[in-house]
Amino acid sequence: MVKIKAVDIVKRFGKFTALRGISVDIRDGEFFTFLGPSGCGKTTFLRCIAGFEMVDQGRIYFDDEDITYLPAYKRNTGMVFQNYALWPHMTVYDNIAYGLKVRKVPKEEIDKKVKEVLKLVHLEGMEKRTPHQLSGGQQQRVALARALVINPRVLLLDEPLSNLDAKLRLEMRAELKRLQKQLGITTIYVTHDQEEAMSISDRMAVMDVGVIKQVGTPEEIYLRPKDPFVADFIGQGTFIHGQVLEEEDGRLVVELESGLGKVEAIPSDPTNKPRIGERVLIAIRPESFEVGVKDKLNLFDVSIYHVSFLGDRKRIQAEANGVKFIVELEPTVNVEIGKRIRISVPPKSTLAIRMG
Amino acid sequence: MKVPRPTIPTIDDLKRGLREIRWNLDIFVFIQLVVVLTIFILFLIVPLFRITFNAFIYGGSLSLRWFVEVFTDPYYFSPRIVFTETFPYIAVEGISGSLINVIKRPTDTGVETIILLVGYDLGVIPNTVLVAVMTTVFSTIIGFVFAFIFARYKFPGSEALRIILLAPLLSTPFVGAIGLKKMLTSEGVINTLFYDILGIMPFKIEPSGLMAVVLVQTLIFYPIIFLNAYTAIISIDPTMEEQAENLGASGFHLFRTVTLPLSLPGVEAGALLVFILSLEDLGTPIVFTGTNAEKVLTYQIFRRMFTPTGYISGEATALAMILLAMSIIIFLAIRKYVSLRRYAMLTKGGIWRPRTRKLSLKVSLLVYVVAFFTLFLALQPHIGVVLLAFAGEWGPTLLPGYFTLENFYTLFRDAAVFRSITNSLTYSITAMGLIIVLGVSAAYLVSRVKIPGIEALDALVTLPIAIPGIVIATGFFLLFLKTPLDPIINGAPLLIISYTVRKFPFTVRAVFAGFEQVDKALEESAINLGANRARVFFTIALPLVVLNILAGSMLSFIYSMSEVSTGIVIGDANHDTAPMTWKMYDILFKGLEGGLFVPAAMGFVLMTLQFIMIVGSNLLLRKRATALIGV
Ligand SMILES: Nc1ncnc2c1ncn2[C@@H]1O[C@H](COP(=O)(O)OP(=O)(O)O)[C@@H](O)[C@H]1O
Ligand SMILES: [Mg+2]
Repeated sequence: MVKIKAVDIVKRFGKFTALRGISVDIRDGEFFTFLGPSGCGKTTFLRCIAGFEMVDQGRIYFDDEDITYLPAYKRNTGMVFQNYALWPHMTVYDNIAYGLKVRKVPKEEIDKKVKEVLKLVHLEGMEKRTPHQLSGGQQQRVALARALVINPRVLLLDEPLSNLDAKLRLEMRAELKRLQKQLGITTIYVTHDQEEAMSISDRMAVMDVGVIKQVGTPEEIYLRPKDPFVADFIGQGTFIHGQVLEEEDGRLVVELESGLGKVEAIPSDPTNKPRIGERVLIAIRPESFEVGVKDKLNLFDVSIYHVSFLGDRKRIQAEANGVKFIVELEPTVNVEIGKRIRISVPPKSTLAIRMG
Repeated sequence: MKVPRPTIPTIDDLKRGLREIRWNLDIFVFIQLVVVLTIFILFLIVPLFRITFNAFIYGGSLSLRWFVEVFTDPYYFSPRIVFTETFPYIAVEGISGSLINVIKRPTDTGVETIILLVGYDLGVIPNTVLVAVMTTVFSTIIGFVFAFIFARYKFPGSEALRIILLAPLLSTPFVGAIGLKKMLTSEGVINTLFYDILGIMPFKIEPSGLMAVVLVQTLIFYPIIFLNAYTAIISIDPTMEEQAENLGASGFHLFRTVTLPLSLPGVEAGALLVFILSLEDLGTPIVFTGTNAEKVLTYQIFRRMFTPTGYISGEATALAMILLAMSIIIFLAIRKYVSLRRYAMLTKGGIWRPRTRKLSLKVSLLVYVVAFFTLFLALQPHIGVVLLAFAGEWGPTLLPGYFTLENFYTLFRDAAVFRSITNSLTYSITAMGLIIVLGVSAAYLVSRVKIPGIEALDALVTLPIAIPGIVIATGFFLLFLKTPLDPIINGAPLLIISYTVRKFPFTVRAVFAGFEQVDKALEESAINLGANRARVFFTIALPLVVLNILAGSMLSFIYSMSEVSTGIVIGDANHDTAPMTWKMYDILFKGLEGGLFVPAAMGFVLMTLQFIMIVGSNLLLRKRATALIGV
C-alpha cells in the first residue's frame, strides 16, 4: 500500500496531447476516482501509472520511489482492464496463479492463495472453469482476483463496471468498495459515470480534456464546484450567467443576464472569489429550490413545461426568459404543465463560479 | 493541403527519442529484431546491392554501359521511332510477329485450318511488361466477374463451384504448363475433342509463344483476383448498398457507384500482385520456349546464368536490375493500398450477412456454361498433370494409351529422383522451422513494438514478394561463390536460406493477422502481473496465435516445395544437392529418361501436398484464410 504522487504529467500521441500537466496526490489506502467525459484522458493516465505508456514529461512516485521510467512489469500494480482481459487459453486457476508463478511462489502456497482470493470474491470452486464458461460478473471477479492475489501496491480499475448490466453494476460497486476497505489497498478508479464516482470514492478528480479541473470529496465537488465545467458535468442544475455588482460579508450580489434580475449568491470556491465587475456563472442544484417562500430574495417566476414524478420527489423543467430551470420539489406540491409558479433559492445554495 | 514544415530535432527531441526506444526495446525484443534484421540484410539486401554494383561496373569502373547496351540492342528493345517523308512523318518500326497466324495444313481427309495465337514481339523488355499487363487485365476481368457473381447471387451448386474455381491455386511448376501445352496444341485434347471428334469448332486454335504464356498465367493467377474481389465484395456493409437503393440507385448504376468503388482497393491490390507474379514467372516461359516465349526477362537472366561456372555477365545483372526495378515499383504501389486498408479485410470479412439474390434459371444456366468453360480451361494443367502422372504412353490421342502406377514407383526406385525429393523435403522443413522462429518474431515486432521505423521492418519482411526469384538467385551467386556457402560445393544452405526468405511473407502475414486479432490488453495484463516480455511472448502471445502459425507455415512449406527459380539455378550448380523442382526441370528439358511422366508424377505429389495444406490452413483460419493468398 502506497501513496501516489503524480507531478505535471504530460503525454502526447504524435501531435495530440492527451494529458496536459496532471498533478495529483493520492493518499495511502484511499479510493480515488478519475471522473470525466469519454476521451478526456482517464485511461491514458491510468496506463501511465501502470507503466504501459511512457510519460513525455513529469514524474510519478509510489511513496518516495520515483517510478517514472520503471518498466511496467516491475511496478507491482494490479490492474483490472475494462474488458477484463482474461486469458482464454487458461483456466480460472491458471489465470489467477499467473502472477504468483511469475514471482516463483511455491506450488502449495499458490494453491492456498488462489483459494483464499477466490473466496474473497465469492467464486469458490470455479478453479477449473475457463473464462468462456463464466458470466460477465464472474469474469469481472476473476479479473479482480487475479489483480489482488499478487498483493499489488496499488489497484488500478479502468471502468470495471461498464460492461455489466445495471443491477449487477450496483452489486459489484458495493462489493468493490467492501473489498477495498477490507484490504486497505490504495485504489485508482476510472469512470465516466458521475453517479458511480460519487457513490464509491473517498476523493475524486474531475477531468476535462487532458486536465484536472477539481480534486475533492464527492460532497465538495457536488456542493462547491470550482469551475463551470465541473458544475455542469456533476449532477444537474440551473445555470445562469451574471455579473458581480457588490460584495458584502462574503455574499455577492449578482445581476443576472436575460433580465432575470439580481440574486444574492456565495462564492462556490471561497479560496478563489469572484471580483466585483467580473462575469460569473450562477449554478443552482435542483433540490435547492423552494416554493411558497415569503422572502424577497432570489425569486424566479417560471412556466412549467415538463413534470416527471420520481417517487420521492417531482422533477420540474421550467423556463423563464429563455433560461431553463431544473427544479426538484416535494412530491406533494401541486404543479401542472403550462402553469407559472414562483420559486426561490436561499443565497447559501446559489453558487457563483468564476468563469474558466 | 498544407504540408507541415519539417522541424529540426532538438537535443530534447533526441533524448526523448532515445528514452522511448529504451522504453520499448527490452532485451528480448532487441534480440528478435537483431536476428530478423541480420538475416534479411545479409540474404536479401546485400545480394541486391551486389547485383546493383555489378550492373553499374564495366571494365572495372563505374559505368552505365550495360544498360545502354541492353536498351540499344533490338533484341531487348526493338521498337524504334523513325521519321518518314509522308504524314504523319513519324512511325514505329521493329515490331515483329502478329496477333494471330493462320496456317492451312493438308491432312488425310482434306485441309485443316489452324489459328496460331502468337502475339507481337517488341523485344525482351517491352515483352515482359506486355505479358504482365495482359495477364493482369485478363485475370482481373475473369476474377472480378466471377467474384461478383458468386458474392451476390445464389444458385444451386454455387458454393461447390466457387471452391472449384480456386483449384488453379494449386500450382505445379513446369508440369502444369506442360500439361496445358499438351492439352492445347493442335494435336492436344481440346482441339481433338472439339475439332476432330465433336466438330463444333470451325478451325483449330493453338496458342504459342508469348500468347501461350499469357494464357497460362491468366489461368493460374485469376483466382488471386477472385479471392480478393470476393472478400472485398462480401465485406461491403450491405447497408451501404441498401442506402443507395433507398435513394433510388439500382442495377448497373448501383454497381458502378457503390459496389465497384468499395471493392476496388481489394481488386487493385490483387491485380498488382498478379502483375508481380507474372513478371517473375520463370516456369511458364521455360515450357514455351522455341517460339518467342523465351523473350522475357526472367528467362533471359536465367539463360545467362545457368552455367556451372557460376560466371554472371554484367548484361545479366543489368537485366536483373531492370526486372527488380519493375517489381519493386509495383510492390510499393501494393503497400500503399495495403497500408490504407490496414489489413481491415482480415477482420471485416464475413461479419455482414452478405446480400445475395437468387438467380433466374436462364441466367443460372449462362453462369454454369461460362464457369464450366473457364474451369475446363483453368483445370487443363491439373487434368493434364493427373493424366500424365498415371499414363503409360500417350500419343496424339484424347486419352493416354493405358494407365499405370509405374511413374510413382519410379519416384522411389530412381535414386536421383528420390534424393531430389528428400532434398526438397529436408530443405522445406528446415526453412519452415526458420520461418516460424523468425516470422513469428517479425510479426510480433511489427504488431506490438512501437519504435520509430518499425514500419520499415514490415516492408522489409514482405519485400520478398516483390523480388523475382531469379534476381535473388543471381545475387546469391554473385555474393556466395567461393565462400563456405558456395552453391557449387553444396546447394543446401543457400536453398534453405532462399526458401526461408522467399516464403517468409506467407507466415508473417498469417501470424500478423493473428496478433492483430489478439487484444493487446491480454498481454498487458500479464506484464502488469510482473511477467517480462519473453515470458509474455511465450505464455500469452504465442498460444493465442498458434493456429495462425500453423496455417502460415503450412503455406510456407508447400510453396518452398514448389519453388522454381532459385531451385533450378542453385540446383544446377550441384546436382547431388538439387531439389525436386530442379530434377523435374532436368528430366523435362534435358531429354532424360522418364520424359513427361515421371515429372508429372512428381507434380502430382506436389499438387496433393498443396491441396492438403491449403485446405488444412483454410480450415484452421476459416474465413480469414483469404488473406494469406490475397494481398
Ligand atoms: N495509443 C494512442 N494513440 C493515439 N491517441 C490515443 C492513444 N490512446 C489514447 N489516445 C487519445 O487520447 C485521448 C484520451 O484517450 P483515453 O485516455 O482513452 O480517454 P478516456 O479513457 O478518458 O475515455 C483520446 O482522444 C484518444 O483518442
Ligand atoms: Mg477509457
